[in-house]
Amino acid sequence: MLTARPTESVEGTTPAAPLKVALMSCAHTHAAAYASQLESRADVELVVADPDSYDDVRGVRMVRSYADAWDAWPEGPDAIVVTSANAHHKDLVLEAARRGAHVLCEKPLATTVPDAEAMVAACHEAGVVLMTAFPVHFSPAVEALRDAVAEGALGEVIGLTGTNNGKLPTARDWFTDVELAGGGAMVDHTVHLAEILDSVVGPPATVHATTNRILHADRAGKGAETGGLVTLTYDSGLVATIDCSWSLPDDAPTWGGLRLQALGTGGQLQIDAFAQHVGGPGRWLPYGSDLDALLLDAFLGAVRQGRAVDPTGEVGLRTVRVVAAAQESVRTGQPVALAED
Amino acid sequence: MTTSPHPGSSAPSAAPRPLRVGIVGTGGISRAHLPGWAELGAELHCYSQAGAQEFAAASGATAHGTLEELLAAVDLVDVCTPTPSHPEIVRAALDAGRDVICEKPLALDPAEARDLVEHADRAGRTLFPAHVVRFFPQYAEAKRAIDNGAVGTPAVLRFERTGALPDRSWYADEELSGGIVMDQMIHDIDQALWMAGPVERVYAQQSIATTDPTVRTAHVVLTHRSGVLSHCRGFWGPSGTQFRYTFDLAGDAGLLQYDSAGDPGIVFDTVASARHGAGDGFLPDVSTLRDPYAAEIVEFATALAGGAPARVEAADGALAVEVSHAALESLRTGRSITC
Repeated sequence: MLTARPTESVEGTTPAAPLKVALMSCAHTHAAAYASQLESRADVELVVADPDSYDDVRGVRMVRSYADAWDAWPEGPDAIVVTSANAHHKDLVLEAARRGAHVLCEKPLATTVPDAEAMVAACHEAGVVLMTAFPVHFSPAVEALRDAVAEGALGEVIGLTGTNNGKLPTARDWFTDVELAGGGAMVDHTVHLAEILDSVVGPPATVHATTNRILHADRAGKGAETGGLVTLTYDSGLVATIDCSWSLPDDAPTWGGLRLQALGTGGQLQIDAFAQHVGGPGRWLPYGSDLDALLLDAFLGAVRQGRAVDPTGEVGLRTVRVVAAAQESVRTGQPVALAED
Repeated sequence: MTTSPHPGSSAPSAAPRPLRVGIVGTGGISRAHLPGWAELGAELHCYSQAGAQEFAAASGATAHGTLEELLAAVDLVDVCTPTPSHPEIVRAALDAGRDVICEKPLALDPAEARDLVEHADRAGRTLFPAHVVRFFPQYAEAKRAIDNGAVGTPAVLRFERTGALPDRSWYADEELSGGIVMDQMIHDIDQALWMAGPVERVYAQQSIATTDPTVRTAHVVLTHRSGVLSHCRGFWGPSGTQFRYTFDLAGDAGLLQYDSAGDPGIVFDTVASARHGAGDGFLPDVSTLRDPYAAEIVEFATALAGGAPARVEAADGALAVEVSHAALESLRTGRSITC
């Protein structure tokens, strides 16, 4: 078993050396934003691997292959950020664990439960940090909902409705390639809310889902659902539904959004994580917190501490279980019970 | 403008007899029907197990001591009783040769609801289920737009309805009212059927607060035969909950959204609203709209007088009961129910 190299200098002596970070693949649409954030930080040395030659991440040190990224420093990177197509997460994360590098992996953590389990286990055994890239976890609006529920401000919470609707990603066709993405909208958009719900009320007991492919029927890959409703029940009796559809029209002024409404005996709370904007006809100027920056800050702090913080690889795995159960429900037409851990 | 089928202001030489309407059941919803009858200049009669005299005094209706006496005195019956008594009263009215408006749900049992539809056919009378949400201008506009292609092919529809548990004991008894699904959410189930057509499968879940059983929510997920998915979310909130209704209708070429809480036509600030009450959590505040209850009553009366057909017919009421009943079966079994 490999032990991760300590990355933090002794406090009070020398300033911490910059963290060596390799961003693995530009396949995900978030890669450019993460690269820009990391590049701007004085405490990070960044290398970006673009083996698929997307060539649209700029202003950073680029390499053409994963091997070149692993070899960019004599002692290898301290940490990697995995922004490949979903089906390729596993190989990159297992390689990081083998090399003792910490990992921030895009969501969904994996396209199958066994893959996600193997990734979590490998990082655990290697003693490296594994976190799942759920930026909305850090939204102040989500934080407010989490706090309100935890403090009992809503009384007994009995119902939650979440919507994560957006446009169909256009620049990256793999998002609707079932082989590479693991599915369609239900894979892409269920996990954000599943993670938030997990952080608010824990994992669900049952999952029911129904899907269709009426939206973007001409553009979505074969077999990829573009609309879906995922209903979760909890041992407490609470019911929650996630609308994961790619239902925002192409001409909308923003990419989409994430809303969550909680109902309790103490009243209702609804949040919209991307509501903050200056508007006008056809205008949408967002001014809310930079959630990518908050995510990366949490990850880099965790790397320096050598200890993962939320959203961890474990919650990433639990959300993959929710998606897998939803897919099984679509196949069977019936709700699916989640196995106890 | 809709013209009255029984105008009270026609030429004096041919003043027709006003429409004689018998309201059965004089609880909360019967009051909401009054402006429509007043608009039509109807002659009102009423019968109720309780409260008929007060209702008569307030509305100018003639109170009758028995249902038979009322049926003999009217042209049309408006059934506003608690749900369990709908079938018996509707049949009696049809058998007396009267056309009938019946509050939703037509019946708690789908076979019974279908039987009422057939009963009306056999009697040669018309039965209108009062699915008033079809007459709310927001929904009517959305339906018209969808039919005209505003969202392309509908794909995923969401409906929310929030209110307080009606302040009458029979609503809280699921055996009598059918609970939140059959009483409140049937409105949105009917909207989903109206906009996206028949349903193939129904899955429903309900959550009742353990600390306050009057507070409850339910989610009903419909998979339509057309492939469209609908989500209906009902909530009977804690005391003080304001009535609110929303929809979000997504298709492959557009999106339509409405939220009554975000309807900015008239806004009292918190200082002013402390002195101004609007709505009671049981029925929505319709003071800024063409009154949907009145529009409904007038449209039914117009159709009966040979005018344009109404936008909802008896079979729609039976279908809404059938799907709502399937949702209740899903609640009971935890299974997805095929319709």
